[in-house]
Amino acid sequence: MQLKHNNVEDVLIVRPMEKRIDASTAGEFKQKMNEWIDSGNRRIVLNLSEVDFIDSSGLGAIISGFKKIGNNGNLVICVVKESVMSLFRLTRMNRVFDIYTSENEALEALSGKA
Amino acid sequence: MKAANMIRLIIDSRLENVSLVGSAVRGIANTLCIDSTTSYQLELCVVEAVNNDIKHAYHCQAGHSVEIDVLLYPDRLAFKIYDKGESMSPAKVAPFSFDPSKVETLPEGGMGVYILHALMDEVHYKTINGQNIMTLVKYLKNHEKPG
Repeated sequence: MQLKHNNVEDVLIVRPMEKRIDASTAGEFKQKMNEWIDSGNRRIVLNLSEVDFIDSSGLGAIISGFKKIGNNGNLVICVVKESVMSLFRLTRMNRVFDIYTSENEALEALSGKA
Repeated sequence: MKAANMIRLIIDSRLENVSLVGSAVRGIANTLCIDSTTSYQLELCVVEAVNNDIKHAYHCQAGHSVEIDVLLYPDRLAFKIYDKGESMSPAKVAPFSFDPSKVETLPEGGMGVYILHALMDEVHYKTINGQNIMTLVKYLKNHEKPG
């Protein structure tokens, strides 16, 4: 799974370049997120602009990263296609994740938090 | 009612093959001029059902067949997913509940069955002569006849 990533100050931006985060790729995605979190990243923006399909395994992997950070930081999401957003709404994960329409908005939100 | 059209897909029981089924379902939905969100949801449900087959019927062991029949009726779209693996216990809709404000309660798995029942108009599961059949039906509301 191809994941682009870069840092803006102390915020890590992760951008999956695959169209799908599903049962066949969720394990790898979760592993990479765990590695980044284990190495000290506590504020993460997940940019889903390239993703047009997530299944429950893919969603579970994203939730796993969020839980791993816990109260020690935040994982926020940006640029979610309307169809993918319907899964977040269905599972009420739109009430869990802060979801922004642009990467800049997400960065501003994370930078503003202590 | 006899199906107006039927498309049969067969894949080997590998999770990496499931995206082929998903893409086919999305293509079929696009042909029917179904909106993009509903098209996504149809793809999602079929993917969830096929993933379940591979994970729970075949225990992620390759070398088995999963057959997916897509049946196009004038008023609905039906999917029949067949496997010959271990049958699932009656698919009770497990209560899907968590507290959004408590991180520890968030689910990381077990959402598939909930998704099926939430998005499909009918979900049926039966075992006949050692073959398991999951049937998913989506009514095509206010839709012209396909074709």
